[in-house]
Amino acid sequence: MLKKILVIVLSLSLLIGVFAGCQKTEEAGVIKIGVAAPITGNYAEYGKGFDVATQMAVDKINAAGGINGKTVELVLMDSKGDAKEATEIARKFTEDPEILAVVGDFSSTCCMATAPIYTEAKMVQISPTASHPDYAGMSEYMFSVMGRQDAEGPFVAEYLAQKYVGAEKMAVIYLNNDWGVSAHTNILKRAEEIGLEVTAVENFVDGEKDFTATLTKIRQTNPDTLCLVMFYNELVIISKQIKQMGWEDVKIIALGPGISEQIVQLGGADVEGIATSTPFMVSPDNTVAVAFKNEFEQKAGFTLNVHSACAYDATNMLAKAIGNLGDNVTREAIAAELSNMKDFVGITGPIIFTANGDVFRKYLIAQIENNKWVQKTDYSYVD
Amino acid sequence: MYFLEQLINGICQGSIYALMAIGYAVIYGVVGLVTFTYGEIIMMGSFSAFYYFIAFGNNLWMALIAGFITAALVGVVVHKVCYQRFLDAPRYISLICTIGMSMFLKNLATILFGSEMKGMPTFFGGKFISIGTIRVGYLQLIIIAVVIILTVLLTIYLKKTRMGMRLRAVSQDKKAAALVGINVKTTTLIGNCIGCGLGGVAGILLGVYYNSVLPTMGGMAGLKAFSAMVLGGLGSIVGSAISGVIIGVVENLGIALTSSGLRDVFAFVLLVLILFIRPQGLFGKKGN
Repeated sequence: MLKKILVIVLSLSLLIGVFAGCQKTEEAGVIKIGVAAPITGNYAEYGKGFDVATQMAVDKINAAGGINGKTVELVLMDSKGDAKEATEIARKFTEDPEILAVVGDFSSTCCMATAPIYTEAKMVQISPTASHPDYAGMSEYMFSVMGRQDAEGPFVAEYLAQKYVGAEKMAVIYLNNDWGVSAHTNILKRAEEIGLEVTAVENFVDGEKDFTATLTKIRQTNPDTLCLVMFYNELVIISKQIKQMGWEDVKIIALGPGISEQIVQLGGADVEGIATSTPFMVSPDNTVAVAFKNEFEQKAGFTLNVHSACAYDATNMLAKAIGNLGDNVTREAIAAELSNMKDFVGITGPIIFTANGDVFRKYLIAQIENNKWVQKTDYSYVD
Repeated sequence: MYFLEQLINGICQGSIYALMAIGYAVIYGVVGLVTFTYGEIIMMGSFSAFYYFIAFGNNLWMALIAGFITAALVGVVVHKVCYQRFLDAPRYISLICTIGMSMFLKNLATILFGSEMKGMPTFFGGKFISIGTIRVGYLQLIIIAVVIILTVLLTIYLKKTRMGMRLRAVSQDKKAAALVGINVKTTTLIGNCIGCGLGGVAGILLGVYYNSVLPTMGGMAGLKAFSAMVLGGLGSIVGSAISGVIIGVVENLGIALTSSGLRDVFAFVLLVLILFIRPQGLFGKKGN
């Protein structure tokens, strides 16, 4: 008896599956865009930001009537910041003929791992944040919005370290992955050009928790400034362990985490005074940006970071490109449309892609004061 | 001088490994099996301290006790689920059960506490003792002291009390212990709880020393504890303690010479090398 019921239930559920499949293909008037983001894992704050920002962009587009009358739908997948997961997602996205293009991923490592898969499918991967100089140039279908390491690295060395905090002897700790290697190389190169002495260069692999030995080693070389090339978790752990070991006379600057709220929340008093570079910060007189920031913070539950703003812009840019194409939307055509777009102005400013498919940006300096990120310089700081 | 400072870093880190390994050795002794849940016990101890600090303020000593109790309670659950019903069954059943339990606890922690990293408060922040040019942090001294005190207490318990004697008897031979009237089930439960409790305390020290807790922190911690125990000779408490310190020192000196990216390489190459030369471990007896 029990067996019979089980058989009936199973066959019914199979049938439902078949009908569900039918329904999907019949549904017309929908444009699907994939979103690959690290929703869980070490970069979860950024992933959550991607999720909220891309959804906000799509809600706004749909409220205004969609793209040429079609509603936009996002397909979100969690890459966990892991290149293996990211390539799996890339396969799923490229194999689904309904998905036209992809916003994501967060890290350069994931983006560069998935680039060949998307390229083969002639599908656009527009990353809000990948900043490795080699990434966007990998094919004409790869785009990046946030700016390139070889523009930010030199800014950190010359303006953030030397001009802003007045560093004379600097030590560098970097996260050992594609992004970290490229970012710190760019810092070191400019540091040498401007005569900023680098006393020590240390690295660690993702997931490291104990920096006592590394910090003891660096303190021996007596630097006045410590440049941390990494994201919020490790940045906070290192700042705490610096305090723990009683190392008072060192200034901390950071490249990578941006104006991340997690730093302030996790670090408390131990991260006071940390300065970082950022391509974007909401100024009170920019009403569009302020409105976006307020809505984002209400939905996400944490302060807007530059990465999420870039995700918002990337989604809007993609939508605009698809809209421009009218009825002739193909995966391939979107890439050409994006690289020819010259008139897009997003929350983070005008975005015009270079021949490679990335953007050269200008940078600001922000610092933590009384548990809050405060903008310290404007774009004219670079002279 | 610089190397002396790194040596102290190593001893401090190593003493946490040692405590984890001692707990592991006690469990291995009474249960007679390796456990894969130990890393998650360490993580649970660490999280209990994290929430203790939020609820009752930053009292490290009380948190250590709370962590011991929490981890021991988790130990009871592990014992009921993984060991008690399978005492006479083939041993691999319990073993696989601990793997499942480990995944369950890790995912439970991710659901309950969230997958993101949490920051631990800073203790004795910035205070240190200077000996010449060498600096030793207060926290480092406290950690080493806690580990030594717990090791001494455990040794006294095992060697001088009747309960400890029963534990040792069960470790040596379950059947013979049962024949002389020892309640093997209860003794195994108590031994498992003590081992887990020590793991929980080690987890707190680890969390405080690294200033962070994470649901996935148990994996590597459990592996290090296991390595230290194997290195010391399976189940040998003294051996586990010394091996834990050795692994910590080798790691830190390795980092001093090369880079932090190679931390685990040093630890595990050492393990392989020593097992190659002395398969029974540093302090194990041949034929065990």
